[in-house]
Amino acid sequence: MNKILLIIQREYLTRVRKRTFIIGTILFPVLYLLLIFGTGYIAGRNKQDLKVGIIDKSGYFTEQLVANVNREDTANKLILIKTSEEEFKNEYDSLGYTGYVVIPENTDWKKGLDSLELNTNQTFGAGATNPLEKKLNKIWGEIKNDKLGIDTVKKNILAKSNINLQTKNIKNKDADAVAATWIGYICGFLMYLILLLYGSQVMMGVTEEKTSRIAEVVVSSVKPFQLMLGKIIGIGMVALTQFLIWIACIFLIYNIGKLSGSDESTMAVAVGNVQKVFTSVHIFTVVGCFIFYLLAGFFFYSSLYAAIGSAINEDMREAQSLSFPITMLIIFSIALMTPAISNPSSPIAVWTSIIPFSSPIVMMARVPFGVPNTVPWWQLGLSMALLIAGFIFTTWFAGRIYRIGILMYGKKPSWKEMIKWAFRKQ
Amino acid sequence: MNILEVYNLKKYFATQKAVDDISLEIPKGCIFGLLGPNGAGKTTLIRMITGIFYPDAGEIILKGKKFDPENDAKYIGYMPEERGLYKKMKIGEQALYLAQLKGLTRSDAMYKIKDWFRRFEMESWWNKKVEDLSKGMGQKLQFVITVLHEPDLIILDEPFSGLDPVNSNLIKDEIYRLAKNGATIIFSTHRMEQVEEICDKIVLVNKGKKILDGSVHSVKQDFKENLFGIQLEKVPDIINSSSFEAIKTNKQELIVKIKEGHNPNDVLGYFIKEGINIVSFKEILPSMSDIFIRLVEGTPSARQFQEIDAK
Repeated sequence: MNKILLIIQREYLTRVRKRTFIIGTILFPVLYLLLIFGTGYIAGRNKQDLKVGIIDKSGYFTEQLVANVNREDTANKLILIKTSEEEFKNEYDSLGYTGYVVIPENTDWKKGLDSLELNTNQTFGAGATNPLEKKLNKIWGEIKNDKLGIDTVKKNILAKSNINLQTKNIKNKDADAVAATWIGYICGFLMYLILLLYGSQVMMGVTEEKTSRIAEVVVSSVKPFQLMLGKIIGIGMVALTQFLIWIACIFLIYNIGKLSGSDESTMAVAVGNVQKVFTSVHIFTVVGCFIFYLLAGFFFYSSLYAAIGSAINEDMREAQSLSFPITMLIIFSIALMTPAISNPSSPIAVWTSIIPFSSPIVMMARVPFGVPNTVPWWQLGLSMALLIAGFIFTTWFAGRIYRIGILMYGKKPSWKEMIKWAFRKQ
Repeated sequence: MNILEVYNLKKYFATQKAVDDISLEIPKGCIFGLLGPNGAGKTTLIRMITGIFYPDAGEIILKGKKFDPENDAKYIGYMPEERGLYKKMKIGEQALYLAQLKGLTRSDAMYKIKDWFRRFEMESWWNKKVEDLSKGMGQKLQFVITVLHEPDLIILDEPFSGLDPVNSNLIKDEIYRLAKNGATIIFSTHRMEQVEEICDKIVLVNKGKKILDGSVHSVKQDFKENLFGIQLEKVPDIINSSSFEAIKTNKQELIVKIKEGHNPNDVLGYFIKEGINIVSFKEILPSMSDIFIRLVEGTPSARQFQEIDAK
């Protein structure tokens, strides 16, 4: 037992003291935020401003109407063209227009305009012409309102005819579906990243011990199973440390923000929102569950990764082909997360959050929606119990493969051979 | 008293009988040579003695008690043929870690490491990494790590490979010193000249079976071919004796084989009677290398794969 502690200590300290760990811990959240805001920024910058001429043969479109919509959205311009279609067709490009739309002569306001064509020499993606479409619809709407004699008052009455259906959880008044969705996504993705990154760290660590032949020296002092377990627990502690540092940072920023943001600054608003999120999703339940699923899920997957690491030799391609089925399980779980978040009480969400291989990710996506309202206690309990049973099994299974693999050099075994090792009488 | 006794040890792999019914006894304080061609089963045998493998059958008795891998690790120091250390770990920390895994306390381990590092002039290595060391330096470090916890049984697999003569001698002297202080050394090798020089007792294994067991002296006696070297002032052209025959002439030295039922006196008597002055006379014992080759010869140089059905 004492020896396992020594191994855990070594695995933990050598990793935590590495520069890559410190940089990764600080840099990861920064990069993550950059990614989110950066892509949003780039997408915003990347929008093309359109300048489109309208050749109105029907006579419905007036300068006044066009000017009104242009005032609301200045990025994309509609301009009423007086010249003929043939003439404009030849010169629109040189005049700096993106294209032009022709309103047919026989247009009838009662029948409506089903579709118009944007004549252009460019190709546009699906969303690029949306603002243009919106503007044309708006003008068309105004024209019809005008013809029907609907004034601004009547228009406002009509505008209020939309019903916005909001869900309200009557058992738990604080429940906030939007916040839960976000936290669910973040938890699921974080779990996914930790399982994949630290799982492959276990695999590479085991392979390193095998190829540098230190394994033979160590297993003459400790049992192979102790060496494997020590490594898994040590690396699991590293993952947990990283997660706890992040959580601590969030609380720190939150509290600093609360202190400094007494006035109505944007900071105070942001803090208020975060506070609402925290109270609505029972942050301690979420963090507690996350730590459980992080460790249990990590043990479940990383012992399988350790078994693979023990079976391969120096060639990293061998690792890829052998670890593919395990990686697929994790990717499959993240694919199941999206339907689970959009409907956290559906049968697929319930069952995949109970089955051990997908439960760490799917259950963590569901938990923010509330325990025990969305996730009843029996589901959480069953899921946890099965995951514990699952990782006990995978660790036992991996230990049997590891014991043989770690001292076996030469040809890479197949999964079939590895399973044979595991169930062979030793 | 025997430090290690092994009875009817067997280990079968899927395609090979790696160790097939081997028994041996190693007295305390002895330098013991475990010999055999490549793939004879030496490493498998050692791995069972060090507790890395469980034997399929048989018994291992260490220090008079049944071998218990978990608790007896501290009595054994094992240096595998393929050296292994963490490349990225600092040398001092690494030695400390591996010594603690053997069951030493931290302070005890620290004291011993300092002592050994001083003796081997390795003090400046403490904060270096293994990847900074040359092969020979790595070898030295591996040896220190193996014997650091003062094990009663030290198992060295090809300890001199890759070492220059100076460091070779350094380690050889340490081996003698450790043996003198009561440690037992198992020495696995196929370098026969080292065996002759160092070992007291040997066992030769081939194809998983023990084919020879005894002290270096008695083995040589058993395999001697009654050859003698005789140096003469002038080697006669024709030798005609019923008691021996000349095998080969080498300048002034004559190699003779004494026939059954005769003894060296007959040879000396012959030359005295012929009036030839004798300069020297000595018995030629076979070298370990000759014995090794003679015993292993005729078996295929590489082990063949075979089907093993029973487990």
